[in-house]
Amino acid sequence: MEAALELNATLGGMRPLLLKLARLQLRNEAWAEDVVSETMLAAIEQAQRFEARSKMRTWVIGILKHKIVDQLRRQMREVSIEAQIESGEIEEFDELFNDEGRRLEPVQSWGDPEELLSRQEFFEVLQSCVDALPPALARIFLMREWLEYDTAQLCKELNITATNCHVMLFRARMRLRECVGRKWGRRGVAS
Amino acid sequence: MSERMDRELGPGERLRLRLHLTVCATCSRIERQMQFLRQAMRRLGEG
Repeated sequence: MEAALELNATLGGMRPLLLKLARLQLRNEAWAEDVVSETMLAAIEQAQRFEARSKMRTWVIGILKHKIVDQLRRQMREVSIEAQIESGEIEEFDELFNDEGRRLEPVQSWGDPEELLSRQEFFEVLQSCVDALPPALARIFLMREWLEYDTAQLCKELNITATNCHVMLFRARMRLRECVGRKWGRRGVAS
Repeated sequence: MSERMDRELGPGERLRLRLHLTVCATCSRIERQMQFLRQAMRRLGEG
């Protein structure tokens, strides 16, 4: 009984966060709403399976990730023209390298990793930087690093070559670290 | 660097990357940041 009350309270409180995460990956309001509703229902249905030793938030986010994977699979069956347009869009960017492959800007340290991971503001910066990626890059990066797809499976599901897959992940990572470095550095928190 | 996070490199590739990272401090830093982003992404939202 107490556990059920706790679950309801946790779910209610988490709804905005779940929506934000779902939007980040799916970039579609209706799909995001759907997966969040499905997640909350599934959490209530599977409440008995929740084991108190894991964190409730972590458990709920785990369910959300599964629901998003299902949604992505449904989408990917209708292979999109959109993906082709997007892959054209990201060709132009040079990821801050010049012709000899040397970096143009010095790379600053972000400070102590453990400290960063304990700060809510850091995760807000990270999220806003993922959100600022071109949709195709954000999608593949989140599938790999958040949903933890295996790379081979990822390329296959997105229907792109391994080389293209690696290039896109590389670009996403480079842009993300550039963005995080810039935004986090500006706060003057980490040197 | 990035590719190493997604597939196993061959022995030659690994050696070349390691040699390169010993002479390029900027690259080592970029590599650490990419690895750190992976760690951070897995905790996204879990607070």
